[in-house]
Amino acid sequence: MTERFKLSRRGFITAMLGAGGALVMGLSRPAVAATVNAEPWDSFGEATSFTPWLRMDNDGKVTVYVTHPDIGNGPLTQACAYVREELACRWEDIRAEYAAPERNEALGGVYSEVGGALAYFSGRSTSEPRRTAYMTAAAGARERLKSAAGEAWGVASAEITVSEGMLSHSSGRSAPFTEFLSVAAAVTLAEEPKPKTREEWTFLTKVDPAKIQIPEIVTGKAIYGMDIRVPGMVYAALRQSPVMGGTLVSYDFEAIRHMPGVRAVVEVKPTEPGEPDKMKAVFPLGPSAVPAAVAVIADHYWQARTALDALPVVWDDGPGAKWANTEMMNDAAMGAARKAGDNIELSVGDVEAEFKKGGKILEAEYLTPYCDQVQMEPLNCTVKVDKDSVEVWTPSQHTQQVFVVTVQETGVAPEKVKVHQTFVGGGFGRRVYGDDSRVAVAVAKGYPGVPVHVIWSREESVRQGRYRPLMGAHLKARLGEDGLPSALLARVAGGPGFFTRGLADTALPLVLPNVQIESSVVRDFHIKTGPLRGPGFNSNCFFLESFLDDMARAAGEDPLDYRIRIYEKWEDEGWVKILKVLKEKSGWGSPLPKGQARGVAIGNWGMGGKPHHGTTLGSVVHAEVSNSGKLKVHRIDVAFDTGRVMNKDAVQVQLEGGAIFGLNLALNEKLNVEHGRIVEGNYDEYPVIRMGDTPEIHVHFEALTDHERYDEIGEPPVGPVGPALANAIFEITGKRLRTQPFREHDLSWGGGV
Amino acid sequence: MAFTLNINGTDMEVEAAPETPLLWALRDHLGLTGTKFGCGIAQCGACTVHVDGVAMRSCQFPVEAAVGSQITTVEGLDQDGQHVLQKVWTEMNVPQCGYCQSGMLMAVASLLNDIPEPTDADIDLYVDNICRCGTYPRVRAAIHKAAELMKA
Repeated sequence: MTERFKLSRRGFITAMLGAGGALVMGLSRPAVAATVNAEPWDSFGEATSFTPWLRMDNDGKVTVYVTHPDIGNGPLTQACAYVREELACRWEDIRAEYAAPERNEALGGVYSEVGGALAYFSGRSTSEPRRTAYMTAAAGARERLKSAAGEAWGVASAEITVSEGMLSHSSGRSAPFTEFLSVAAAVTLAEEPKPKTREEWTFLTKVDPAKIQIPEIVTGKAIYGMDIRVPGMVYAALRQSPVMGGTLVSYDFEAIRHMPGVRAVVEVKPTEPGEPDKMKAVFPLGPSAVPAAVAVIADHYWQARTALDALPVVWDDGPGAKWANTEMMNDAAMGAARKAGDNIELSVGDVEAEFKKGGKILEAEYLTPYCDQVQMEPLNCTVKVDKDSVEVWTPSQHTQQVFVVTVQETGVAPEKVKVHQTFVGGGFGRRVYGDDSRVAVAVAKGYPGVPVHVIWSREESVRQGRYRPLMGAHLKARLGEDGLPSALLARVAGGPGFFTRGLADTALPLVLPNVQIESSVVRDFHIKTGPLRGPGFNSNCFFLESFLDDMARAAGEDPLDYRIRIYEKWEDEGWVKILKVLKEKSGWGSPLPKGQARGVAIGNWGMGGKPHHGTTLGSVVHAEVSNSGKLKVHRIDVAFDTGRVMNKDAVQVQLEGGAIFGLNLALNEKLNVEHGRIVEGNYDEYPVIRMGDTPEIHVHFEALTDHERYDEIGEPPVGPVGPALANAIFEITGKRLRTQPFREHDLSWGGGV
Repeated sequence: MAFTLNINGTDMEVEAAPETPLLWALRDHLGLTGTKFGCGIAQCGACTVHVDGVAMRSCQFPVEAAVGSQITTVEGLDQDGQHVLQKVWTEMNVPQCGYCQSGMLMAVASLLNDIPEPTDADIDLYVDNICRCGTYPRVRAAIHKAAELMKA
């Protein structure tokens, strides 16, 4: 299969399909006119190509193939920007398309080998391997065009310049790229060109293009998973066992058979996936296990939904029903966190010996609840299962995972499986495991030969999640004579699959002389968990940075200056730089009216215990609490260090959105459990911040260290914003919030009223 | 039952139960998928359309009640993206995932129709749609920008 790719390298440009459907939008902002296929899946058919990343057509259109789904974070645009830099084509001639996973499979993993195992994940579009892949491909195309033109004009190709899709020579000759496509396709270069260095860039970091798919979005043309319309398609409304791990006892199809449009009820039996035979799954397959479920199939969705609501179903709740309420689970997690851990995450020095010295010793317990991503587009997936082929349309965060899951669930040969990546109405980690696709495939298996669009209601989507884990933490610290912590003990616990990221691998434990970090798994938690924007980090940063604030106060020091003293010991200067920028820009220390205060927190997403890795981000939150306990957040300041930034505006909007996400997570979000079931189902019970609750947000770029990385921006704000708010609330009320969400706490102070 | 709906200036026939939400008649029967399903309980606003010029959450609006009214969906703003809101949204890089933005745009269009130069408080009142990506700061700035352009 790799052979096919090698063969195709001989010719890089195809004279094939016109690029029908490409849109050119005239807009005043510079360079926003590149676009994306309105039905964004791989249309790569009969074409041969110099590179799997790039195609040029006779009408001048340049198609860039992108592996990772755009969930609003801009990877489509970034891929186009790399190509624009090297190829010097017109921005409005570029369009993006998703690289289909079956093509990846057929080409021996040519896409997934770039960026490692997570290549198809929505992870960082600014990583060096991705940048190099796109820029090398585009530079190769450019040099071949120059070579072809040089040959035709009888001049040295090195003398030819390229700009806006034109080749030019000082002799006055010029021609559009399209004139030389077929000749260039046959050119063999002595050596493939190297990508431009940063100093040579004229587009990257100089122009901040807006997301190329926006013209599709604002006209309603963007096709999300929910918008898929395939000829002959029917709809399925889905209900899974309300208690995870439960089983179906019975249902009564006769009760709904007569209802309009109803075609069938499909029962799905719970199965545990094994390992796939040939392909390597990217994320673990266990969380994609099919649960017990029923689906009503009807001509239209509303018919299916109405009939499902009328369908009598009896469930056996299974062992999960023993968890009578949320408190029972909280107690179990806290109980586990109070004991010595099952796993030692980090052990430095001797914390117990240090504690025996006495002095200022602090001890506290923290808890974060189950939370759902509540992405705006409820889960859905369309599947057509035939005897020996399968086709899937999915708003996934990980197209390749869906491919593997589909192959596994159907047993159909990989070359007969086609997965179409659609636009994605929000991800935040919910759409990486492929559990939604697997259930849809299982339903479609029960109604074969017809495309089945399976739609989760909002309530089904929320109650059948892969949640931010419920986590408990027990923390203990001793302050040394200098006021700084001389020992830190942290014990955390959660259900299977909970995350310790951001606890042992962050700067605080790495600069202290005595540290013990332990974790325990509460094995009989039945609720399924998964990544939620900044997994692990969004709980652990809350624990550590709230506790650190307590230490600062116990030491009698300003919380921001205290952090500077601590993080001065860490060899990555970004931390202190961020704190100093925040101190200067947020108004830190300037007087505020009574009832108002600022809080600060800092953390790093992705450093993995190493300096100059991941993104460090600090936040100052300015809040107000009335005597009666009414909270208002006035302003959030964010300073960060990703090393460098590629598209400043893209970073700005991600950080704004991330700050709001982090604020909401800490302030509002919690799922309760009752007899094993998730209680909350919709936005009326699970509040999300709206326009009127949104504070002023100030993003500061001055703390960038210019270290040579362009690190991630989606997750970082979600860690520190919550504890920064908690720290402000403590400053105002004297109340230390040790559990999320904060809205559950009585914040009244100074006698109430 | 058969209903005739006037959508974006064109009469269209829908065969559906009378209580079917307008949202699903638009999306599923008429193929107008720009109007989004988000919550089904008129909480999030992703399904916002105009009924006789007034912003309505179509997930709670029965199809039979829409007969005789002028319905406008996001597809009716401008197919080529030349409506001032569409242009400003693009220039200012407002949407992230974009799923809520059809409803957001329809809520904003209604606001600017009623109040050509809205204050921040007006915006808070009229545009209470949910955006999980957190595009609110950009939406607010874009509304002010659009109001300025429409005034000129």
